[in-house]
Amino acid sequence: MIDYKPQYYPGSSIIAANRRKYINPNYKLEKLRSISDEDLVRLLGHRAPGEAYKSVHPPLEEMGEPECPIRRLVEPTPGAKAGDRIRYVQFTDSVYFAPLAPYMRAWMGHYRYRGVDIGVLSGRVPLEARERDLEKVAKELIETEVFDPARVGIRGATVHGHALRLDENGMMFDALRRYQLDKTTGEVVYVKDQVGVPLDKPITLGKPMPEDELRKRTSEFRVDGVSFRTDDELIRFIQRIHILRTEAGFDPNKVKGV
Amino acid sequence: MSEEKKFIEALRRKFKEAPEEKFTKFYIYDGWKQSKRKREFVEIAQKIAKERRIPFYNPDLHLGGIPLGQRVLMPYRLSGTDIYCEGDDLHFINNAAMQQMWHDIRRTVIVGLDAAHMVLTKRLGKEVTPETINHYLEVLNHALPGAAVVQEHMVETHPGLVADSYVKVFTGDDELADEIDDRFLIDINKEFPSDHAQQLKAAIGKRLYQVCRMPTIVAMTCDGATMSRWAAMQISMSMINAYKLMAGEAAVAEFAFAAKHAELIEMGTLMPWRRARGPNEPGGIPLGYIADICQASRVKPEDPVWVALEAISMGAVLYDQFWFGSYMSGGVGFTQYATCTYTDNILDDFCYYGADYVKKKYGGFAKVKPNWDIIKDIATEVSIYGLEQYERFPALMETHFGGSQRAAVVAAAAGVSVALATGHSTAGVNAWYLSQLLHKEEMGRLGFYGYDCQDQCGSTNSFSWRSDEGLVFNLRGVNYPNYAMNVGHQSAYTGIISAAHGGRGDAWTTNPLIKVAFADKDLKFDFTHPRLCFGKGALREFMPAGERDLIIPSH
Repeated sequence: MIDYKPQYYPGSSIIAANRRKYINPNYKLEKLRSISDEDLVRLLGHRAPGEAYKSVHPPLEEMGEPECPIRRLVEPTPGAKAGDRIRYVQFTDSVYFAPLAPYMRAWMGHYRYRGVDIGVLSGRVPLEARERDLEKVAKELIETEVFDPARVGIRGATVHGHALRLDENGMMFDALRRYQLDKTTGEVVYVKDQVGVPLDKPITLGKPMPEDELRKRTSEFRVDGVSFRTDDELIRFIQRIHILRTEAGFDPNKVKGV
Repeated sequence: MSEEKKFIEALRRKFKEAPEEKFTKFYIYDGWKQSKRKREFVEIAQKIAKERRIPFYNPDLHLGGIPLGQRVLMPYRLSGTDIYCEGDDLHFINNAAMQQMWHDIRRTVIVGLDAAHMVLTKRLGKEVTPETINHYLEVLNHALPGAAVVQEHMVETHPGLVADSYVKVFTGDDELADEIDDRFLIDINKEFPSDHAQQLKAAIGKRLYQVCRMPTIVAMTCDGATMSRWAAMQISMSMINAYKLMAGEAAVAEFAFAAKHAELIEMGTLMPWRRARGPNEPGGIPLGYIADICQASRVKPEDPVWVALEAISMGAVLYDQFWFGSYMSGGVGFTQYATCTYTDNILDDFCYYGADYVKKKYGGFAKVKPNWDIIKDIATEVSIYGLEQYERFPALMETHFGGSQRAAVVAAAAGVSVALATGHSTAGVNAWYLSQLLHKEEMGRLGFYGYDCQDQCGSTNSFSWRSDEGLVFNLRGVNYPNYAMNVGHQSAYTGIISAAHGGRGDAWTTNPLIKVAFADKDLKFDFTHPRLCFGKGALREFMPAGERDLIIPSH
């Protein structure tokens, strides 16, 4: 095996640096808030707090799996070992300086977590995993610097809002109004779970980050923040990829010295 | 700065706040009731539900009681016009002009007459002269809508139902054209600017082509594959009548073969089994044909940007709304997706920015040969310009609230701009793909999995002509493998082709016969101004063909 040191992401700007930081699994995400295990389970809405995990197959050790070199190579996740069903958490990231943009969220997830299936859309990023694995991942994604209660939404469906203007309190639009800003405490409170089912008691996710803090942590280029134009290294890198792909598609022999 | 932007006026009409304002209010608009069109839907649906005794449209069922309209349900401006409408008015089911555009394409086939004339003269020893041709055309104009010309005791179609069916001819031979009755002639000299007419006549030469328009009601009740059969049947019968032939003599088979195969040019080819449709269905129509069917280049050949934008609107309606939004998916369809390229003057602004950049930096259109420096420079500049507008004007970002909308519009502008600069449509589509890669990294987001996937591999196939993975760009369409579920792209691809050839001053992009066939003022849809026509459809001011009032109770 060659000695390979991943570079994670090109670019000379602070945005590119933030992208590298979040994607790099050796960087420990800064914890900014706490959510109890019980509240997390209620927010996800897949099982009642305290309820056993539902399984879709017996534990692997009881199944007598066939001899297989891949099985020997890959250690199953705890959820896979137990036979948990696959469940999801889905986030919507506002275009207004949210910490993560959808592709960063996906790349970060793939580098940091095992046994996850992540999709990328402009307005939402679904992450699916075995249920107990999912809860662990979701907890980190909510408790750390990659989450902001005002500019990131936890939304299973009706995700519309990432590109909309903000409300008068700087909150991202949510047609289902799963969360609201408690003006007395300044904290964001979820009153519905991620698919919009009302919660029996609200879940507090803390105060929105100040604007300057968001701008410091964001991985989104914006002309009113850090302009993409200023990151010449990143632009040249993208252009190079495009040219190599084009030439290889036209005639692979044309591509030299890569 | 904002006064210079073409989209500002529409943004002011769409939202109460200034386009630069980042904050607004939500949840105060009374849901669907803020929309006049939704109120109309509810009123009519409630009446129908009572009559049919089956529950019907009820927007209060949305999200278990949270109706859409928690934000502003914004109006849309048809780009290049002063027409504003509601989004619902741009669903093709609600827009008669969109339906007619498609019907006018679907009901058209071109059939060359030279093979038939050769059979008549060389095999049967008959004389073919301008007089006999005019007589034949008169007979076919009787027969094509569905009338008998040879047989006795036949049932026929009601002329009032098929009034839009007729045949015309065109040729590149001025002498022959002079001899054809004006009522049957698409006169290239009259319909096209003189330099375009010269190009077209040189390409068409002395050959003579019929343009057959089957009735819209046939297009509505049968399918595209019907058209060549319908035309061939009536052409063969009219030949028998006009040239006094024996019905069924062996030579008649030659007319049928010519009309069904040898001399037939359909608007679209049939599709493979997994997307099975016959000819003359949207899936088989090449992008370059739509660019040619659009007739805006006859109106303002000096403004290839405007021409491309008009062509883009047709591509959006046909490929995104009809094909992907209905044939391939159904239901609500992809209207919201498609309208981004022809509403609110947004793509117009981005494209004219690119055109100005090209003119200033490269001295005009089609002045440079494509190379990497040109593609990189223009595609990067125009893409970043577009992305910055979304970031400078939050109302613009909210207008294109889906990433696929923004990706399509930004990449379209990049592609059109490179096509204008180089006169090369493949360079243009290559720029589209560079734009998509830049956009994905700039915003950290693009469209959705399926949208993005095809743009990630697009650079690779853009210049590939190998048979299993590539094709000359003008001949691609939604039947091209990589574009088969590629919603939100084909409209712009149509415009990229249009811009490349418009920039060069070409009279057509892909097929001169297609171009001339739609230079026909008797068509119901106005192919010179598609966006205006769609706007009239939205305002319910467009009168289509194929109405059935004559055969139904008065209502």
